[in-house]
Amino acid sequence: MSTEEITEAVNLLSAVESQTQDVTKLVDHLLKKATENEYNTSKGISFLELKYQLLLSYLMNLTYISLQKSQGSSIQDDPTIDRLIEIRTVLEKMRPIDKKLKYQVDKVVRTAASGGTDSSDPLRYRANPENLISKLDDESESESEGEEKKSKIYHPPKLTAMHYEGDETEMDKDQKVLERAKKRALSTSMLRELREEFSEGPTEIRETTSTQRSRAERKLRERTHYEEENFMRFSVSKKDKGKKGKKAKQIISKKFVYDYMKPIFVSNVAKSPD
Amino acid sequence: MSEGAATIRTRKFMTNRLLCRKQMIVDVLHPGKATIPKTEVREKLAKMYKTTPDVIFCFGFRTKFGGGKTSGFGLIYDSLDFAKKFEPKYRLQRHGLVEIKKTGRKQRKERKNRQKKVRGTKKAKVGAGKK
Repeated sequence: MSTEEITEAVNLLSAVESQTQDVTKLVDHLLKKATENEYNTSKGISFLELKYQLLLSYLMNLTYISLQKSQGSSIQDDPTIDRLIEIRTVLEKMRPIDKKLKYQVDKVVRTAASGGTDSSDPLRYRANPENLISKLDDESESESEGEEKKSKIYHPPKLTAMHYEGDETEMDKDQKVLERAKKRALSTSMLRELREEFSEGPTEIRETTSTQRSRAERKLRERTHYEEENFMRFSVSKKDKGKKGKKAKQIISKKFVYDYMKPIFVSNVAKSPD
Repeated sequence: MSEGAATIRTRKFMTNRLLCRKQMIVDVLHPGKATIPKTEVREKLAKMYKTTPDVIFCFGFRTKFGGGKTSGFGLIYDSLDFAKKFEPKYRLQRHGLVEIKKTGRKQRKERKNRQKKVRGTKKAKVGAGKK
């Protein structure tokens, strides 16, 4: 070892000695104060302060244990372990409370970071209890006083939501009727067949099982198919004539098909004073 | 004459080489009007298929309930000779190409009853003479 290193070591050792003397003096001073009850602990310590003091002492005890283990000495029946367990359990018990306080703590931290709060900030600390009471409480109070004020108008019970039509002008209503008629006209059998003729997709044959008319429909379909295949017309007996009329009357209302087709060609409903 | 509101569409078109004709199903759309007569349909088909209307024979027009739509059949022959060869007599009569002589129903029934009284080849003789 060189002389420089020796002198350096001696200086460092003397520095360590002086610092340890200072530390012992400080600790004695603190101990005296604590024993003389100079620190007011009647209110207890705050939750957050307790939390970080516990964490600190946990760390200290943990470093002591790891020191012992690295030196090779046994840690069995060491009071440090009991201390560690105690601190650990207290921290675990504190965790749910901490979770409940998390929102407040975050808010405070945020305000501290951003500086100042806006009075119209929706995330202000307190809920407004006036917004929670029902405004209908006023009615119940007034009803008990004046029973003679019951109105004679019948109000039907409100069971389901209904479409509100009060804001529609007459023009809107006419247009709506026209649109509906257009839609209906576009789906008549005539136009459906036209569409089928010119569409490039394959023809669809739909099986509908209407139990009432299935037999009659099947018969009618067979008949028309035969007629078209063989280029001839069947003679319709009186019974069949009656049946055909009756069924057809069920399908089509008294309107002519022309009335169905008309809306397609009417573009705009212009209200002219007649 | 229609104002163009009547539309004719053809379906299931087929060229029948054996009978030298084209056959199809004719759909007539005439919303708000009565069924269109066959002569008009023939003329429209002639325009569509670029032939004369005299080789076109249409029949079997049935109007759907409620009006507005009629479907029938149409035949377009290659020539009038083929038409006279293959068409049934009653359809040719409708076009005025053939005259079917009808003796009248009453006459036919009376002839039949007279024939009932006679046996064998004499039936033919009975028919000729009218008492």
